[in-house]
Amino acid sequence: MSAIDHYINDIIVRGGAEALEDGSAATEAHHLLLALATFEDTAAHRVLTAAGLGRQAIREALDREFEHSLNAVGVSLSSYRLPRPSRDPERTAAMGASARLAIERGFATSTGKKDLRPAHLLLGVLDTEIGTVPRALALAGVDRAELMAHVRGTLPHETW
Amino acid sequence: MSAEDLSVPQDPADALAAVVALRRLADQLEDAAVEQAMRAGWSWPDVAEALGVTRQAVHKKHVKRLIAAGVTLRRRQ
Repeated sequence: MSAIDHYINDIIVRGGAEALEDGSAATEAHHLLLALATFEDTAAHRVLTAAGLGRQAIREALDREFEHSLNAVGVSLSSYRLPRPSRDPERTAAMGASARLAIERGFATSTGKKDLRPAHLLLGVLDTEIGTVPRALALAGVDRAELMAHVRGTLPHETW
Repeated sequence: MSAEDLSVPQDPADALAAVVALRRLADQLEDAAVEQAMRAGWSWPDVAEALGVTRQAVHKKHVKRLIAAGVTLRRRQ
């Protein structure tokens, strides 16, 4: 397997762990974003960090989006005191539709498999105006288009 | 609360995001509620009936994590 194959596998496994941790049935695009912010020494990680989007900041932005979306229909998360349910240690999360789309879009931003790098995967996650990722970023005051421009800016000169 | 009382957000993006968030909240609530019931000695058929699903469905979905957590389960009836 090539370095990018290992990296994609790591991102999917880490994204799955993020999904299980927040009680989601499937790995979605925002779980991949958390994973991209976890693995260091990539241009994708550097751009996210420079924008103030470390893993914890993204987690908080996603939590705010969850609460905001519930509030829109009159549900207040603060009125629930849910005990933390036990998890099946052997369970793995399935890949959700938004995660599949993000990876497909990431592939589409590269000129081919040999060109594919972590920054392309980040572009794939960011390249949508619909869904949890753009909503969470907007609520956090992050300009998604500008963030994407910074990611694209790394492509000509950063090899990984 | 009637359907008329539930205000649907004007922006379709907000309304659709609310659906996603409610599903996730319902999943979290189900995990917590099933565990609470089984720890309190409920049977699989009773939990299934309360949720409006088959006992096979509720058993398949939750048994592994409850066993892993050491919850004492009543025999499946």
